[in-house]
Amino acid sequence: MLVADVSENYTDLVTTVFSSTIAAKAWLATAAVLLALVQVTTAARIYGKLSFLTERGRAVARVHRWSGRIAFLCTLPVFFHCVTILGFQTPDTRVAIHSLVGTFVYGVFVAKVLIVRDHSLPRWALPTAGLTLASVLVVLWVTSSLWYFTTVRFGF
Amino acid sequence: MGRGWRPILIGGAVAVATYALAQAQIFAPSVPTGLAAAGDFYAGETVFQRECAGCHGDGGKGGGVGPALFETGLDATEVAAAVQQGRGVMPAGIVSGQEQADVVAYVVAVSSPSE
Repeated sequence: MLVADVSENYTDLVTTVFSSTIAAKAWLATAAVLLALVQVTTAARIYGKLSFLTERGRAVARVHRWSGRIAFLCTLPVFFHCVTILGFQTPDTRVAIHSLVGTFVYGVFVAKVLIVRDHSLPRWALPTAGLTLASVLVVLWVTSSLWYFTTVRFGF
Repeated sequence: MGRGWRPILIGGAVAVATYALAQAQIFAPSVPTGLAAAGDFYAGETVFQRECAGCHGDGGKGGGVGPALFETGLDATEVAAAVQQGRGVMPAGIVSGQEQADVVAYVVAVSSPSE
């Protein structure tokens, strides 16, 4: 398969479900951000916060892990389109911020996963990494999906 | 250097790799020639969804008051003329400047007959 065919096939595949590749990214990023909020909420509960949520045990941990996995899967098509097709661009402030912050998203994600598995690190390291990752996703969502929904169209 | 730096260093390496991949744009579509070359397909897709899809349908597949554009074999000159001068009930100058160039690139691409 020619490299040039990849973007064409990707566009054809995505537009069988969504009206455009941009709409697909907007909705997948929205799903990822909503799941990131689930991540922050469940993580806070695991750390003993948000006491109005009665459940704190294995169920919360399971929701935390699976919401993270699904959020990661939601970001993969977005990553593919943004990074390998559109690339790093700076035509205006919004796109420049999106490109710059987007460069770091998987770096922060990898750091967070490594911190989860390293029990020798200080207790504050994991929530810091998790909140940083959630913040990065929110900035990316505001500079892409929110912009798309408010200035282009709100629809699939 | 302590183990605490490991996530930051590896995360930084991933960020650098992401930046390099973004600069390479390995799956970017080939650059069109002629008038459509001045525009960007993906920027044009956004402009089209905002300004044109209401009449020409999502992806130019029809369904509105305007004709379907999908796989109709339009060329860039024809599309640019329609955008600048209007056609039928379509008013002239819906978009201009770089947005016009972008939407021309997009319409030319979606109107190309599939092989």
